[in-house]
Amino acid sequence: MVILIIEKEYKEAILNGNISLAESLASKAINDNLEINLVIDQFSEAIREAGDLFEEGEFFLPELMRSAEAMKAAMTILEPKIMENKEDRYLGKVVIGTIEGDIHDIGKTLVAAIMSAEGFEVFDLGADVPVDKFIDKAEEVGAQLICISALLTTTMVGQKRLIDNLKERKIRNKYKILIGGAPVSRKWVEEIGADGSAENAVSAVKLAKKLLE
Amino acid sequence: MGSRLIDLGLQPGTPPESWNITQPEKIKQIHLEYFSAGSDIVLTNTFGGSRLKLEAHGHGDKVKEYNTRAVELAKEICPPNGYIAGDIGPSGKFLPPVGSITEQELIESFIEQTTILAEADVDLFFIETMVDLKEAEIAVKAAKRVSNTPIFASITYKKTKRGFFTIMGNSIEQCSEVLEEAGADAIGANCTISSEEMVDLIPLIANSTDLPIIAKPNAGQPQLVEGKTIYLSKPDEFTRDIQQMIKNGATIVGGCCGSNPKFINEISNQIKREKK
Repeated sequence: MVILIIEKEYKEAILNGNISLAESLASKAINDNLEINLVIDQFSEAIREAGDLFEEGEFFLPELMRSAEAMKAAMTILEPKIMENKEDRYLGKVVIGTIEGDIHDIGKTLVAAIMSAEGFEVFDLGADVPVDKFIDKAEEVGAQLICISALLTTTMVGQKRLIDNLKERKIRNKYKILIGGAPVSRKWVEEIGADGSAENAVSAVKLAKKLLE
Repeated sequence: MGSRLIDLGLQPGTPPESWNITQPEKIKQIHLEYFSAGSDIVLTNTFGGSRLKLEAHGHGDKVKEYNTRAVELAKEICPPNGYIAGDIGPSGKFLPPVGSITEQELIESFIEQTTILAEADVDLFFIETMVDLKEAEIAVKAAKRVSNTPIFASITYKKTKRGFFTIMGNSIEQCSEVLEEAGADAIGANCTISSEEMVDLIPLIANSTDLPIIAKPNAGQPQLVEGKTIYLSKPDEFTRDIQQMIKNGATIVGGCCGSNPKFINEISNQIKREKK
């Protein structure tokens, strides 16, 4: 019973975007010496539900961003514990941005927010980002994953250019590459040799985790 | 405009408004194509001409130049019975919690752009592709504050399982109420949704307002085929949908992304035929 009540609170904190509740739950988990992975699973479950609600048209951008912020606040508190125990909850470094020529920020920002909320170390380069900047940043921070967003069919070609560029530099295999954006199809993923794309922010994060396993 | 600019060679990373200075003949050519196709109103090449948007491209110091020249170019080819609309798109920035821009920054950016467009003597303002009702409201109020020029305000909706909303969650009723209150003279919808989906949207807007209604759908969804962007709608199907929207109450109609002068020509011919 106790666990059920706690589960409800986690969900409430995230779905209501209640930062202080999320923080106090995280602090309490540490004080009570709870199994950190289980705690994070609870938060993850809640953020996935927020993503589902967004897909359903129940949640909109503001609600989803508030949920992601609440989760991030909780993860920040849990972070020292994660590091200290060397539990393999540290998911890796991600460089993310919208490709040059494209100023559509929303989808990319959502993915970045949820990734960061879930525990990735996210380097969000913003929108209209040149190919070289993606690669230089990934090299600089030692990222494992590069996420490239493009909302326009005219800028999607930048996703291909980035991958070609990595191949030319002979570092394509150092990274997993996810591409996103409304016009991105499975065929395009295959054509340019990306590692995947996802329907929405939550499944993008799920896929990212899987790729880095 | 945007789709035609890309056809004519606009490269990614270049703000379209810079062509008002560097490629004025091409801009005039596009306006002329639309007037020749039967447009009554053409929109100036100033969609991204606000300071906030141009700053993102490092062209923040060109706001006045780009906007003034855009109106001059349209006027140079405007037929006596044509109208020039000063086009105003979103800032590209978001208010909290999604982004960190302040309302004051939005107000200043839109006051600046609408002032320049009004001084250049546009016939009306066309505020469009707004995904956040608050930003749309700020833009309408800014336009209202600087001149008596009529204001058209158009929202971008997305279709969810619960109906049409902006991505921020604003309903059709909210949008109509707030935009009317802010002083818009015509309201409606443009971009993102196709003509087929917009057929369902227009009656709902009509139920929520007595103002004239704008309908400016995309020509389908963009697809990349062998490296080229194509939109799947055909002008005749698109026109059939537009005719339905007119029956349902739309009085200001046109095309957004992926449409081109052929679409406008088809619509214009059809409307004239029906009037006879």
